[in-house]
Amino acid sequence: MDRSATSPSALTGAVKGNGDAVFATIVRCAAVLILLGLGGMVAVMAWGARAAFARFGLGFVLDKAWNPVTQHFGAAAPMFGTLVTSLLAIALAVPLAFGIAVWLTEIASPRISGVIGTLIQLLAAVPSIIFGMWGFAVLVPFMAHYVEPFANHTLGHVPGIGQLFHGAPYGTGFLTGGMILAVMITPFISAVMRDVFLSMPAVLKESAYGLGMTRWEVVRRIILPWSRTSVVGGIMLGLGRALGETMAITFVIGNANHIGWSLFSPGNTIASLIALEFPESAVGSLKFSSLMAVGFLLMLISLATLVCSRLLLRTRAAG
Amino acid sequence: MTVVEKNPAPAAISVRNLDFYYGANHALKNISIDFPQGQVTGMIGPSGCGKSTLLRVLNRMYDLYPGQRATGEVIFDGCNILGPRVNLNVLRSRVGMVFQKPTPFPMSIYDNIAFGVRLHERLDRAAMDGRVEDVLRRVALWPEVRDRLHDSAAALSGGQQQRLCIARTIATRPEVVLLDEPTSALDPVSTARIEELLDELKADFTIAIVTHNLQQAARCADQVAFFYMGEVVEVDGADRMFTAPREKRTQDYITGRFG
Repeated sequence: MDRSATSPSALTGAVKGNGDAVFATIVRCAAVLILLGLGGMVAVMAWGARAAFARFGLGFVLDKAWNPVTQHFGAAAPMFGTLVTSLLAIALAVPLAFGIAVWLTEIASPRISGVIGTLIQLLAAVPSIIFGMWGFAVLVPFMAHYVEPFANHTLGHVPGIGQLFHGAPYGTGFLTGGMILAVMITPFISAVMRDVFLSMPAVLKESAYGLGMTRWEVVRRIILPWSRTSVVGGIMLGLGRALGETMAITFVIGNANHIGWSLFSPGNTIASLIALEFPESAVGSLKFSSLMAVGFLLMLISLATLVCSRLLLRTRAAG
Repeated sequence: MTVVEKNPAPAAISVRNLDFYYGANHALKNISIDFPQGQVTGMIGPSGCGKSTLLRVLNRMYDLYPGQRATGEVIFDGCNILGPRVNLNVLRSRVGMVFQKPTPFPMSIYDNIAFGVRLHERLDRAAMDGRVEDVLRRVALWPEVRDRLHDSAAALSGGQQQRLCIARTIATRPEVVLLDEPTSALDPVSTARIEELLDELKADFTIAIVTHNLQQAARCADQVAFFYMGEVVEVDGADRMFTAPREKRTQDYITGRFG
């Protein structure tokens, strides 16, 4: 075969085709497109919110009012509801997800673990509207008839935390919302935890067992520290979903702009407020702009959550 | 199996008619072997012959995995450790293990050692400091880490990490130490250090070491066992095993004709 400068085996000369360059351009565009999308979303939300911020100033963030009649709007109540329900959801879901992940990876036999693991994944595939219907039809009456009156009569008298359990047992409210969210985000958190636990080198676990550690000691002292970064990452993923979840929580939150100590009182989250009122507000109206403004704040909260988790992880990794 | 000459030291661990199964795979076939107290027993043989499997039986590590089971007897301190009522946490603290790759825990150098000790003993701060220094001196790591005991163990080199793992294992004062190819991932200098260490440690511990390095077995072991296809072909003093093996298969292996 003649090794001329253009033959495929020549080390110098023209590269056959320019596929590499084309491919590099395509993937670079894909990456840039995502950044443009993110930037565009932030810009559109900020632009839409400009009327609300111009009218109410930064006080909008801390204003508890939401009154379409007087055209007076503030973001404090839905922000409060969003944070309370999401934090409740995390508080309920993390221990549950942790238990699931430990059981699946450390205790259950592989066959059972495979089946249950898949079922839990399926839970993540249930559309959120279904959770909303279930919550409204089952969880809300259950809370109203059993849990809330009971908690009211028992925990309601405990000094300090009693206030949390006061109030009329509507069934809807912050606690019910948090519970629905907890069920929805548990599969995500437990899936991340399970993958992390499974990815742990077997010899490290065996070394720990080899020193005579019990299962709990291995989980607590070896697996958790080793996987802390990813576990916190999984929790943040769940928190991100909880913050933005809309349909399910709209059904059970009670839809009242309210800030208070009681976990039983109806409230609103940013997402539920937008879902209920956005379709009814005229484009260009002050209410429309105010809803864009709370949406903008929701975005900021979500981004702040992510940044916080990164910072937290970095300081922990250094220490 | 060739009849074993009586080893004068009493056995720390006696394996009798041990069979081991990974599911349907019969990995150890009717094995009997003694691990004499205060001696180093080297286990050699081609990959997959059951050496490591036997180690994992001696501290019941196989229990972590469903589908693995052992039948027969393993007598340690007068008790058959394959029995159902054995406290595995206590067993594993008395039969320590060091793995092929260094496995430092994700914590400081100091805590890597103190942690295992705390599981079984209550020591005050000074006693714990003393214990940590003592074991680090014994593995010849102390001069290298004395100023950074509270740094992460992950920052140590591979050889240092492996010595730390040995220190961690002996810190709980086990009677038997199992080593599964402890130097195969290390450079020659670190390997030499660990071999010296074994020689010192056998004063206090009974040692079982799996190795693919025949010279290592010849240098370190008092007694050598040759494994082949899940059977113990021959057990003898290291001197005799490498100079005058009784079995043809042993001879073939140590002269490099197979495996």
